[in-house]
Amino acid sequence: MRVEYINPFVEAAFSILKEVLGDDLSRGELYLKATSQPILGVTAIVGLAGDVEGRVLIDLTEKTAMKIASAMNGEEMTTLNELAKATITELANMITAQAVTKLSELGFTFDLTPPTIITGEKMEITNYEVEALIVPIETSHGKLEINVALRERN
Amino acid sequence: MKTKADFPNINDRQPEGLKDDGNPFRVLIIDDSMFVTKQINQILTSEGFEIVGSANNGESGVEKYKELYPNIDLVTMDITMPKMDGVECLEKIIEFDKDAKVIMISALGKQDLVKKSLLIGAKNYIVKPLDRNKVLERVVTTLKKQ
Ligand SMILES: [Mg+2]
Repeated sequence: MRVEYINPFVEAAFSILKEVLGDDLSRGELYLKATSQPILGVTAIVGLAGDVEGRVLIDLTEKTAMKIASAMNGEEMTTLNELAKATITELANMITAQAVTKLSELGFTFDLTPPTIITGEKMEITNYEVEALIVPIETSHGKLEINVALRERN
Repeated sequence: MKTKADFPNINDRQPEGLKDDGNPFRVLIIDDSMFVTKQINQILTSEGFEIVGSANNGESGVEKYKELYPNIDLVTMDITMPKMDGVECLEKIIEFDKDAKVIMISALGKQDLVKKSLLIGAKNYIVKPLDRNKVLERVVTTLKKQ
């Protein structure tokens, strides 16, 4: 997978997180994973189809998800209820929408699916035929991983 | 009728959500996100606006608008929603009431749909993430437009 594909998602995540959390962020080292990988517990999935295809995950632990949802709602949340999930969905929605704007400026056109949220412990995700690139982002509420597996359609 | 005294956090000015006669502007929120709906609701009610309804898809959005009409001053409209999207919902509302004041709420990356909505008759748009100042500024400007 080409690294160019992940950068718009990382930049978008940075700018949106900064805006909604008013937070200091830092970017971790990019890493690559082939085949199966564990996911952290709360995962928003967005599918892409067009010139490039695949999926983007925004992955975080339940604890971090609740802290971010609490911050975005201005109220303490102690369970991952419907509102907390809707909040993380909206976060994923804003990040991917902004990233897509950047990718389309680079000349790629494609459609996005609305985000789907998956929650649970000890889950794994498996990609065939394309490896995933992952960039961790540290916020004051915990770590969030941008996990992108995309390829050009031929 | 509400007065300034009902909004003690707002010092010396008339809350933006109240008309000259002291009655609140009435707003319908059409959005499938519980988070966004709550966010808009909180921002607007804190300025005295009255949220008279909400709908989580375009179909029920059109129905709610017709139910509330003519006692409705403003609609906030999401774009991506199940059953009927915000652009089609806007079209149906404008068909029914050509003077409807609708503000599109959009994530970045939907510029084409925002442009289309403005051509159909949306009066304004707001790009997410939403914050208090951005929302109030657009809502107030839109209400002043004739
Ligand atoms: Mg929506």
